[in-house]
Amino acid sequence: MTSSGAFRERLLEAWTEIRENLGRASLQALGVMLGVASVLGGFSISDSQRQRAEQLYVRLGGLDKLNVQPRAVVSDRQPSALQQANLGLRDEDAIDGGGLRPDAIQGVSSQKNARSRVVSSYADQDRSITGIGGDFIPANGYEVEAGRGFSATELEAGAPVAILGTEAAATFFPSGSALGQVLRIGEVPVTVIGTFQERVFRFREDQHNIFRWRNRIIAVPASLVQRRMNGDAYRRVDRITFRIPDLKVMAGFSKQLQDLVRANHRLQDDFRLDDVQARIRRQNGQGDVYDLVFLLSGVLALVGGGIVNVNIQMASLKERVREVGVKMALGASGREIFKTFMTEALLLTAMGGLAGLVMGVGFSWIITHSIGIPLAMTPASFLWAYALAAVSGFLFALYPAWKASRLSPMEALRYE
Amino acid sequence: MSTIIRTQGLTKIYGANGTAVHALRGIDFAVEKGEFVALIGPSGSGKSTLMAILGCLDAPTGGTYELDGHAVHGLSGGELARIRNGKIGFVFQSYNLLPKASILRNVELPMLYAGLGRKERRERALALLEKVGIADKADKLPAALSGGQKQRVAVARALANEPALLLADEPTGALDSRTGAEVLDLFRELHAQGNTLLLVTHDPSIAAQAERRVEIRDGLIAPAAGAA
Repeated sequence: MTSSGAFRERLLEAWTEIRENLGRASLQALGVMLGVASVLGGFSISDSQRQRAEQLYVRLGGLDKLNVQPRAVVSDRQPSALQQANLGLRDEDAIDGGGLRPDAIQGVSSQKNARSRVVSSYADQDRSITGIGGDFIPANGYEVEAGRGFSATELEAGAPVAILGTEAAATFFPSGSALGQVLRIGEVPVTVIGTFQERVFRFREDQHNIFRWRNRIIAVPASLVQRRMNGDAYRRVDRITFRIPDLKVMAGFSKQLQDLVRANHRLQDDFRLDDVQARIRRQNGQGDVYDLVFLLSGVLALVGGGIVNVNIQMASLKERVREVGVKMALGASGREIFKTFMTEALLLTAMGGLAGLVMGVGFSWIITHSIGIPLAMTPASFLWAYALAAVSGFLFALYPAWKASRLSPMEALRYE
Repeated sequence: MSTIIRTQGLTKIYGANGTAVHALRGIDFAVEKGEFVALIGPSGSGKSTLMAILGCLDAPTGGTYELDGHAVHGLSGGELARIRNGKIGFVFQSYNLLPKASILRNVELPMLYAGLGRKERRERALALLEKVGIADKADKLPAALSGGQKQRVAVARALANEPALLLADEPTGALDSRTGAEVLDLFRELHAQGNTLLLVTHDPSIAAQAERRVEIRDGLIAPAAGAA
């Protein structure tokens, strides 16, 4: 007989044994099944939660942005001459900063805001105006839905054009399309050339739209704000954003940038950078929490399943010892008994594991559905859950199988 | 006639120095091929120990044992298992059928350990059940059978690998006298077909059915024993 034939024979035998001892076998498989289901469930629920959190960051424009914003150095006393003479955050800072790591920086964008009266034929309101640079739209997760974005020439020349968020468009142009309409911002007539797609994000289904305020945006070229609305001779800006996908590079870059801007600003800390270290800590910390959840649920499930199996082995010990005695009398060697036990346990683990995967999917679906987040399952979770079951099934089977194989045939036959 | 069993100076000591029990104290014993021998003795005489050693279920402390021309003493557990499988057929007082396995599978088991194919096992097991007269019960569980029928299954299973020796340990002990007599008839029939039988009992009337009686007393072959 070939070894594969012998293995098939052994599997068939194990299957027969399982059918003959259905009660014992199904209890044993149940232990594995619950173990696999809870491991898979734990993984999937964590995955779903993590995926949802990542979706939020991506929609916010990602974790890859490093912002520089102006900060007041003096609040309640007379500024010094040096402070007085300081120029603040300017486009030059953006240009110099972009030159630091041109290899790692994917985009630089300046932002200059204004607050102004905005008038159309339908509405007259006091609104925030966002003056944007070239990279603002993708960096902040906006997409132009109708019309077009700003051209390089428009951004450069400060052309009187605007793109509206859905709320702004609906407010100022409630009937018909906003495209091509004219909006008066302060004293400047501005043509609407595009509208943004509506931004919606609910962490859970029944929550409010946490991106609602983003639909209020009225975006114009930053240069337009600087020149005709809220500008000054020094071309000061309200925010500079660098896009750097690699967080590690960003940490180093952040220090270089700090020194550079500080030097540009006559050694005054009149600006602030996003805290990259805090961001890294947060991302890593989040990983830690999830890893701990994985580990705990995995260990608990395995221990639970293992205990169930050991209990069943103990409960059926008497029956099994007699059985082993008889088989040995009929010519089964200790090695044969060991293999029989192991094959049976592994087959049960395999079948219980499959059932556990199905159960785990249902389990995860119920939980994620009840807290209202989409279910995310990765092939890795299935593999892990199954592999853990196989390993624990193997380990917990070893001892009883070894015990049984070491029985003396005479004592096993006489066992009462 | 060749010799199936030959032992010389067989001893078995249980326990350590202080509390040692000498169950066998030097057994010289032989069974020829085709014999029907009854091993008789009161409980505590050492006959169960002897039968366990002769059945390769246990190893002797000292002495030699040859089964079917091969030395058995000092063999490993795996080798003893192979000998039990191929050369010895057991019939126990309590039948020792696997309760959850069908009658057919109970008879197939020794052939499984011998490495026979599925189809061959099935055919041979059915033939053996036919031989002991309960082929119609092949698919039943042991619990559905009477004591006499169970013992017939056990006999069929013992014959599965055409053993050199049939070893029966109080085979009628759990049966009423009529069924017991039927089982003994079956043994005599098997003897007539050329099988070698060793029957262990404490009951002289059952031992009287055998060709030859060997009596054990206090771990030794009693000198008075002889042909019936």
